[in-house]
Amino acid sequence: MLKKVIMLSVAVLFGMQAGLAMAANPDTGPGCGLGKLAWADYSHQKNIGPQVLMATTNGTFGSQTFGISTGTSGCTNDGKVMAEEKTTLFAQLNFENLSQEMAQGQGEHLASLATLMGVPAEQHAAFFAMTQERYTSLVKTGEASPVAMVKAINDAIATHPVLAQASTR
Amino acid sequence: MPRIQSLPKPQLANNQHGASTLESKPRVFLTRCWCIVLLLFILLLAPTSPVDAGALIENEYLVELIDKGLEAKLASEQEWHLLLHYRKDLFGGYSSEQDDPGFFMSPDGKTNPQAELDATLKQFFSDELVGRSKQPAQCAFVARYEWLRNRLRFDENRLPPMACERFERWFADFEAQSITLIFPSAFLNNPASMFGHTLLRVDQRGQTDSTRILAYTINYAADVPPDAGIAYPIRGIFGGYRGYFSTIPYYLKVQEYRDIENRDIWEYRLNFTGDQVRRLLMHAWELGNASFDYFFFKENCSYHLLALLDYADPTLYLTDEFLLWTVPADTVRLIASKPGLVSGIAYRPSRSNVIRRKREFLPASERELAHRIAQDLGELTSPAFAQLGLAKQAFLLDLASDYLRYRIETTDSPPPELKERNRAVLTARSQLRIPSQEFMVVPFAKQPELGHRTSRASVGGGWRNNDTFEEQTIRAGYHDLLDPEIGYTPNAQIEIASVTMRTYNRINQTRLERATLANIVSLSPMDSVFHAPSWKINAGMNTIRFDSCQLCSNGFLNGGIGAAMESHWLKREVMFAFAEAEANYSRAYEEDHRVGGGGTVGLLTDLTDRWKLMASGSYLRYALGDKSDDFRWFVGQRFTLLQNLSLRLEYNHRDHDNDVMFSMQAFF
Repeated sequence: MLKKVIMLSVAVLFGMQAGLAMAANPDTGPGCGLGKLAWADYSHQKNIGPQVLMATTNGTFGSQTFGISTGTSGCTNDGKVMAEEKTTLFAQLNFENLSQEMAQGQGEHLASLATLMGVPAEQHAAFFAMTQERYTSLVKTGEASPVAMVKAINDAIATHPVLAQASTR
Repeated sequence: MPRIQSLPKPQLANNQHGASTLESKPRVFLTRCWCIVLLLFILLLAPTSPVDAGALIENEYLVELIDKGLEAKLASEQEWHLLLHYRKDLFGGYSSEQDDPGFFMSPDGKTNPQAELDATLKQFFSDELVGRSKQPAQCAFVARYEWLRNRLRFDENRLPPMACERFERWFADFEAQSITLIFPSAFLNNPASMFGHTLLRVDQRGQTDSTRILAYTINYAADVPPDAGIAYPIRGIFGGYRGYFSTIPYYLKVQEYRDIENRDIWEYRLNFTGDQVRRLLMHAWELGNASFDYFFFKENCSYHLLALLDYADPTLYLTDEFLLWTVPADTVRLIASKPGLVSGIAYRPSRSNVIRRKREFLPASERELAHRIAQDLGELTSPAFAQLGLAKQAFLLDLASDYLRYRIETTDSPPPELKERNRAVLTARSQLRIPSQEFMVVPFAKQPELGHRTSRASVGGGWRNNDTFEEQTIRAGYHDLLDPEIGYTPNAQIEIASVTMRTYNRINQTRLERATLANIVSLSPMDSVFHAPSWKINAGMNTIRFDSCQLCSNGFLNGGIGAAMESHWLKREVMFAFAEAEANYSRAYEEDHRVGGGGTVGLLTDLTDRWKLMASGSYLRYALGDKSDDFRWFVGQRFTLLQNLSLRLEYNHRDHDNDVMFSMQAFF
């Protein structure tokens, strides 16, 4: 039963059942039918039962969505995340790590987000300081919609005295 | 859909040109007229004569290529066998490990390398969509095409190359610079990861250590239907599922292993040339058309990754080293043992180990303060916290957030207040306006290639009651609590398939003394943060002395659940206690069996880096079958001589039964 819930969530997450995804999660993710479930559901596999069942197969989250040369589905093209979805998908799937690192003013998820948003490495410190300062509002926005959070960060970059000059995108 | 370029291409181009002329200059009658004539001409000719002519040329050239291939004996070359995953079978022929018919161009392709080569050449002339990825053969099997094109010097006029946009886009998107082997280490409390896992990461150009998570991985895993239920493990072991390759972003894998499953990750940067990286990716693309029957013990994640590395560098011969099973740590050891193959090793600690090391770093009072903050945010206004420097405040808040996230990830349906508390801790943290300092985490278990090998052979001798004996043991895998722990997860034991033959000298009898099907022990030291229980399960047979029977075979099944604690009085001690149930089957017992329960307490301690001691005592009372009880003692010591050689002295006591043995154990 639990596994079914998980698999369904994965399916919903990557828009394999796009209709259902839209019905259950209106407008919470990037435009490829990506719901807001992500790892919240995977992590419920903590109890030992499903793990024993998983034991012999290395069965893992997302191996179908990212299957090599499988054509186009949801957010992916032959298993690769579509260019226009990269940043929002990253923000969505790493939201917990990102919010922790924004508060901490550094971290690899935050550095990776900065890179995806075109902030050059020498401006990362300024980027980190900016997201730390705006932590409360960014996280509040991000909890409702990661797309909106990425937009809010973009807007903040545009009005930032240093970052606006340096950003390549 | 990839663009198709074949022989009638010039006509197609004319056709398009004509059509656009028709639209843009509708008033020029002459042009229109010409166009109509031209169109008619094309319509008449295009489907017939150019194709016929093409087919003729194609056939002629195909025959030529096949002959050239035969002459050069390409079908018996290593490269072709690597590409098609052929292995020599028992009868001297070949058979591919690949199990998807779409991977072969010939119906006999799985067992006939020559037929497959000929059929592949033929298919290169066609734009028919083949394989699961539904592309023309040239694009679906880019590595085969490239190799044959070079070896047979394809004439581009007679066999025109096709544009493979899907592959080119996929390949370019990697921005590949190098390949890193990723080893999420074994973690016993999750049976899915008992032996660890391996995957490849495709590192991008221009990446720094802090953006590595943006890279894609190449991962091999079984595809398991959602309602697999109890058939799961059985089908997984015996090849009942299909395994596929995927390119899951590394950030998802890091979340899965480090954040959710709390496993350390080791990263081995491989010293591949640009050409080898390209070869690896081209073959990985082809494997998108492949599926392998997944066998947990041999043809598993690690095995198929080795095949990919073998193709990248055909001088490696990695898969040849594995006959019966492929243990991920063994593949890591093998790769690390190849001179010059690994250019750097990085360590990515699990969240639980980050917490452990941060706690060790703090004095007890601050450790408790961080723990209290995670439980009650009121602590933030306490004088104890307020008097600390900014950097120390940040450190404690970060640790409190780590605790909370650990709790959230490891509890089933975590209460919402945990998440809210974490947000509040982070809000307080964000107001400190300083970045957290880099914190170096020293691993608890060294990297796997420093550990002993997987299988073990022992010879020993000793005394049992009034007799002396010699014995030999062979154990397929993997590690027991007394084995040298370097490179292995501490406090975890997995013994699988072990057999002991023993010769008693006075009564002159050789017998099967012990056999182990599986003997697994997981000790998880508890403290204020970590609450996981310890557990054990053991199934096998041993030789007992019971009532009138001096040496009787006894089958047993034992399982227990308990708790462990760690201390550092001498060096490192782990104390444990289990409540357990046991069933015995032996003709020594009345009604041939007994079933009961009891408990075990014990101590495991490192006396020096090489010398380890374990002592345990158990009491079991059997209420079913032969109503009896059992009091057992065990004291064992191990001394490590070399990475793969150690000595043991073990004493086993049961009622009227004393067994002392000295043995030497070699890992291979």
